[in-house]
Amino acid sequence: MANATTSGRLNRFKAMEFVVGILLFGTICLAVLFAPLLFPDGGTKIDLAARLTAPFQSFAHVLGTDPLGRDVLARVVTGGKVSLVVGFASVVGSIFVGVAMGLVAGYYRGAWDALLMRFVDVQLALPFILLAITFFAILGGSLINTIVLLIVSQCVQYARLVRGSVLSLREREFILSARAIGVADRNIILRHLLPNLLGPVIVLATLNFANNILLESSLTFLGLGVDPTIPSWGGMLADARTYLQTAWWVSVFPGLAILLTVLGLNLLGDWLRDSLDPTGRTSR
Amino acid sequence: MELKFTRSLLGALALSTALIAASPSLAAGKLTVSLSQDPGSWDPVDTFLVAWATVATNIFDGLTYRGPDLKLVPGLAESWQVSEDGKKITFKLRQNVKFHDGEPFNADAVKFTFDRLLGDEGSKGPQKSNYAAIEKVEVVDPSTVDFILKSPDPVLLTKLAGYGAMIVPPNYIKEKGEDYFNTHPVGTGAFKFISYEPKIGVKLEANPDYWGGAPKISELDYKFITEPATAVAELQAGRVDIVVPPIIPISMVPTIKGDSRLELMSVPGPTVDALRFNTRDGITADVRVRKAIIMAVDRKTIVDAILAGQASEIVSFQSSLSLGYDPDLKGLPFDPEGAKKLLAEAGVKPGAPLQIDIRGNDATMNEVAQAVSSYLQAVGLNPTIKPYELNVLLNDIIPQGKTGALFQQKWGGWTFDYDNTAYSMYHSGEKWNPYEKDAELDKLLESQRPMTDAAEREKVLKQIAAYVNDKALELPLYNSNAIYGVNKRVKNFTPAPDNRIKLNEVTVD
Repeated sequence: MANATTSGRLNRFKAMEFVVGILLFGTICLAVLFAPLLFPDGGTKIDLAARLTAPFQSFAHVLGTDPLGRDVLARVVTGGKVSLVVGFASVVGSIFVGVAMGLVAGYYRGAWDALLMRFVDVQLALPFILLAITFFAILGGSLINTIVLLIVSQCVQYARLVRGSVLSLREREFILSARAIGVADRNIILRHLLPNLLGPVIVLATLNFANNILLESSLTFLGLGVDPTIPSWGGMLADARTYLQTAWWVSVFPGLAILLTVLGLNLLGDWLRDSLDPTGRTSR
Repeated sequence: MELKFTRSLLGALALSTALIAASPSLAAGKLTVSLSQDPGSWDPVDTFLVAWATVATNIFDGLTYRGPDLKLVPGLAESWQVSEDGKKITFKLRQNVKFHDGEPFNADAVKFTFDRLLGDEGSKGPQKSNYAAIEKVEVVDPSTVDFILKSPDPVLLTKLAGYGAMIVPPNYIKEKGEDYFNTHPVGTGAFKFISYEPKIGVKLEANPDYWGGAPKISELDYKFITEPATAVAELQAGRVDIVVPPIIPISMVPTIKGDSRLELMSVPGPTVDALRFNTRDGITADVRVRKAIIMAVDRKTIVDAILAGQASEIVSFQSSLSLGYDPDLKGLPFDPEGAKKLLAEAGVKPGAPLQIDIRGNDATMNEVAQAVSSYLQAVGLNPTIKPYELNVLLNDIIPQGKTGALFQQKWGGWTFDYDNTAYSMYHSGEKWNPYEKDAELDKLLESQRPMTDAAEREKVLKQIAAYVNDKALELPLYNSNAIYGVNKRVKNFTPAPDNRIKLNEVTVD
């Protein structure tokens, strides 16, 4: 009896996770999507006369203005585009590269496996910030380069996850029988292995999405990554550093935006993991 | 092997003596100062950095001295006399002065210093050209020297108060070698050098035998803190007593003013900021484009709003305290429509990219650059801002001519004479002039150097400023105050406009 109520409560909690997660992430996605309609100037209009207006004082600047008199709300909403685009593109890129690496390594084993997995080991051993600084010093900072850097550094997580699953799947009967009746490797990988891997990959992708948004913000905060003239959450935080004690709203709102987006994604990720994988086998 | 061993033994010995020497005077207190930059080298002939002078003015002395009141007074020379034709200066030297290593200061040390500065060793550094007017130094007797000049130099006596003209110990340098001196400086100043850790800090201790009287504090600890918010946080936490400019961003002025334990000291200084143009490549090679960019930016609003009373607008690259400042010189007006017309005339397409290089740790410039960039956007350009690490910008980017279309130049102009700035910025082949080669401007710059008549020279300096304005070689921005953050436990501290703070009179509670 006691057991049943606990699991009932747990289920309700899980449902809450989904609802809150989708609400947070969905709202932010919608806001960012409609940002050009809501704020046509993209939060770049400077009004030095109205600099550092406090929030909740006027309808023109609901969340106040920054040191250059730009509307904080407009910048937070517009700036989300950078984070979401970088997060989404880097995750999609990582999935393609990482899953391909993992499939090849796990299915064919041998030299490919050794080579790819050593690359993964090296990549995991490199401190991220060091890699980032070197990368940007050579190639220069831009939106595309930030995405490429994140793909290079994050794809290995997918490779490891997929390779591990493939290693156990390839010995299962349905694969063995497919091979026995002479199905081509390509078809075995695409038709039989891939669908069985999607669950854990999607879960990882959701959590990775959140993580990449944090990485992108940190890079921009450090002045690496995206150009400072483009509004972005990390860049806004960096600009607001010296105003922490005199104008809290300049840093708190972009900070909140990052927090809520990442929280929403993590809740969704947790919920997805529990729904797709009730035994908890592939907990990261 | 053996040599190495002896050396390290000597090092250990030197360290222990330093420790013993430091301990008896500890009671008088320690002062911690934050500097925004690691000068990297301590040799007077090898530097051009204000951060160097902030520390070195406590280690070294020049023949003359200029304190926070900017008046020239005797330093290691008790008196001097300039000949009728201005080509010979005779210095009477202070007697019974010793360097920190014990060797005596005398006419030979002065001769050695200037032979070194004007010779091969000096050629390796940036200071030599400032003293090019000196032909030779002659020893008359142990306490008298003659400076024989190629041509009169009206600013020379001021220049003898700082940087390359600091008197160095001949025997010490001969025995220990140049490299050792570079990292273990010895002078006649109020404080002795103890240790230097690159990127971390430099420590000095009081020189009880200082000719100007023993300092009132026993230890001076300079920390290199490059991040503005960190410097202010350290000041608030009491781990730093004085924050030396230029690092406190205007945005943090209210924070310091609001803290009852701290004091904000702001003095008009020589520091000017401009965004200079790459006049060699790209769209800014065209003078019309440069003028358009200047006209597009509302500098008055930027100075009023962002620099909130801590700076004034400039038209040429100098402060109003400088010789050569012309109150009648009119810069280009703020005129975005005119700017658009000029850009169209020059054939610049809307959306033309433009890179602005700035110092990454200059929080105020970060804001100013964003404002400038939005004004440029308004006339159809597409600017990007590139923040650089300070030393990279100063060593690899500007002198090598690798900047974007605009780059930040911050200049101290410590002699308060436009010649010092203008020559370095606009004369062909100078380190800070990677792009411009203009024979007419070179001639103007050279013509004023030998002039002895200050009024005559000022006229030429004004001409130079007008010429530069006419060619639109830079987007002049502002002359900012030197802003010091000081803990109230520090007494008797006078903020210096030129950052050269001598701390021998300062006491701490």
